[in-house]
Amino acid sequence: MRALRADLYLAITIIVVAAIYLHADAGLRSASIGDPLGPKAFPALVGGGLILSALLLLFETWGKRRALADTRIQPRTRDQKHVVLVLAGMIAWTALYYYVFESAGYLIATPVFLFGLLSYFNKGRHLVNVLVAVCFTATVYLLFSILLGVPLPTGPLDL
Amino acid sequence: MDSLAGILHGLAVAATPEHLLYTLIGTFIGTMISHLPGIGPSAGIALLIPVTFGMDPSTALMMLAGIYYGCMYGGAVTAILLNTPGDAAAVMTVLDGYPLARAGKAASTLAIAAISSFIAGTMGVTALAFVAVPLASLALHFGPAEYFGLIFFALSTVSALTGDSLAKGLMSTFIGLALATVGIDLQSGVPRFTFGIVELQDRVNFLVVVVGLFAIAEVSRMVEGTKEGSLHIVRVKGKLWFSLDEWKRAYPAIFRGAGVGFFCGAAPGLGGTVAAMLSYILEKKVSRTPERFGKGAIEGVAAPEAATNADTCGAFVHLLALGVPGSGATAVIMGAFIMYGIQPGPMLFTTHPDLVWGLIASMYLGNAMLLVLNLPLVGVLARILYVPPGILLCIILGIASAGVYSFNYNTFDLFMALGFGMLGYAFRKLEIPKAPLLFGLILGHTLEQSFRQALTISSGDVTVFFTHPIAAFLIFCAAVSIGGSIWAKRRPRTLLHAAEQQVAEQAGEQQAAEV
Repeated sequence: MRALRADLYLAITIIVVAAIYLHADAGLRSASIGDPLGPKAFPALVGGGLILSALLLLFETWGKRRALADTRIQPRTRDQKHVVLVLAGMIAWTALYYYVFESAGYLIATPVFLFGLLSYFNKGRHLVNVLVAVCFTATVYLLFSILLGVPLPTGPLDL
Repeated sequence: MDSLAGILHGLAVAATPEHLLYTLIGTFIGTMISHLPGIGPSAGIALLIPVTFGMDPSTALMMLAGIYYGCMYGGAVTAILLNTPGDAAAVMTVLDGYPLARAGKAASTLAIAAISSFIAGTMGVTALAFVAVPLASLALHFGPAEYFGLIFFALSTVSALTGDSLAKGLMSTFIGLALATVGIDLQSGVPRFTFGIVELQDRVNFLVVVVGLFAIAEVSRMVEGTKEGSLHIVRVKGKLWFSLDEWKRAYPAIFRGAGVGFFCGAAPGLGGTVAAMLSYILEKKVSRTPERFGKGAIEGVAAPEAATNADTCGAFVHLLALGVPGSGATAVIMGAFIMYGIQPGPMLFTTHPDLVWGLIASMYLGNAMLLVLNLPLVGVLARILYVPPGILLCIILGIASAGVYSFNYNTFDLFMALGFGMLGYAFRKLEIPKAPLLFGLILGHTLEQSFRQALTISSGDVTVFFTHPIAAFLIFCAAVSIGGSIWAKRRPRTLLHAAEQQVAEQAGEQQAAEV
């Protein structure tokens, strides 16, 4: 039943997103010199398609609802809740890493970012974690900046 | 240039030391990636694209294609030794591969899988070379209406045949198409859906989406995996070869599997998983002893392995001859083509004969390299499985971040990749297929252009799509694929679920036995 409820929310979300998309499309400038359709027509069809797919999902969900009416909702386990928290923390940590990516430079931001992640996902093995964080950063930096000529930000370590 | 002359010319191009080296590197990396849980060929190729910056496009594409078929080749190793498919397409190999390995036949099963992949890969490349040329010649006569019909057909099949729900497949396609409309409209110069963000004016970077949707999102699967039990690898003992009896049972399955696989690959959107499943079902149907399947039938390993490898070649037919990808991974390779400034499609055979024939010929050489690499090195390569997933996921995130930044040298792409990573996680949780989004995103621009051009030529008359016979036929095929998927009520997918359930049950039984 939880999956069906998720599908219902998904369909509603898609309809809302499609409505915003169609509203933005309606506000576009019309410039259709030599082009009978202009820039607005194709997105309008895509927005309509999104709404149709959401309605089809509602129809599919309705069909499955009776079949699954008797199944009981399993409560989330403690592990599942924990995974969600870990993922949220990882996203926040990654966003912070990206935020300082240019200002701190690749050579400073990356080992700190990796060591932070490794300290959680590879608990207790501090020496291995430091080695992985430092060696990985050095290898990628050398590969991109020196061998491939693709410069990564140096930050305060302007080498 | 006809096909045979093309292959010979391609062999001369592909056999240069530099091309041989990069083909070898590609196949090796592909094999390694296939051993990593969670990372499939699409993410692997996308992660490696930044490494190809500055390379000659032929060399880069040979390497990227090598990653693709190397990945398909190596997926069997984890399926047989670990009861876990290395990539989604290897799910059917688990059914008989793992019981065979548990019965002490790991070495011969791996050898059969390798030989099956090699034979099917070689047959597939030959078929690719001979099918692509006439198809490209036909496509040269395509106008905007025909191209619209073709892309419409490709998007319909990928929506209808990927995943369990037609609605979710269509939703994914339309999200991809909506993303493709972001940026400055080239025909009118009007910025669309950029919301004032300068970085979006140049359209949504396809590779950023791929890395986010596949690599970063798959890291979340690994996070969940770190909470689960440890790996139980079957040790490989004895000589990596098979008996005459095993070969006699396997070889008809290889040829049938290769045929099924190539046709599945040539149908856009069907993909390796469906190819493996159909070939497995076919083998079970034609077998005199179907009761052995699921308990350790060597045909149950040979057929799906042959099918997945032939499928990769079939997927290249569309890409090279028509400029339409045949699978998620070929969609990423198409992104690489475009990044190198080369438009895949029928003109490729005349404008870039060295590249296209070199690429096809490199697949012959790559297949041979995989056979030589995999058989003696299977034990060494499988060691990557011992790398703790906690370290692996950090490394993947690190590579993804450096790669995404190097596309445009701005942090906006990094945040966008993270956003698409979260979207990919939501897709996985909500069981929305990702491949249709990729198809929509990479083909959306061409679809819109051909749609508008066709209507401009016909002065706005929409019947143009039905009065041109090829366009009408392709739109009819699209309608059939959608209608067929509704009518069939996803029956083949139900069989696939049964297979996946069997894999889960086997894993459960195995863990219970070990406890």
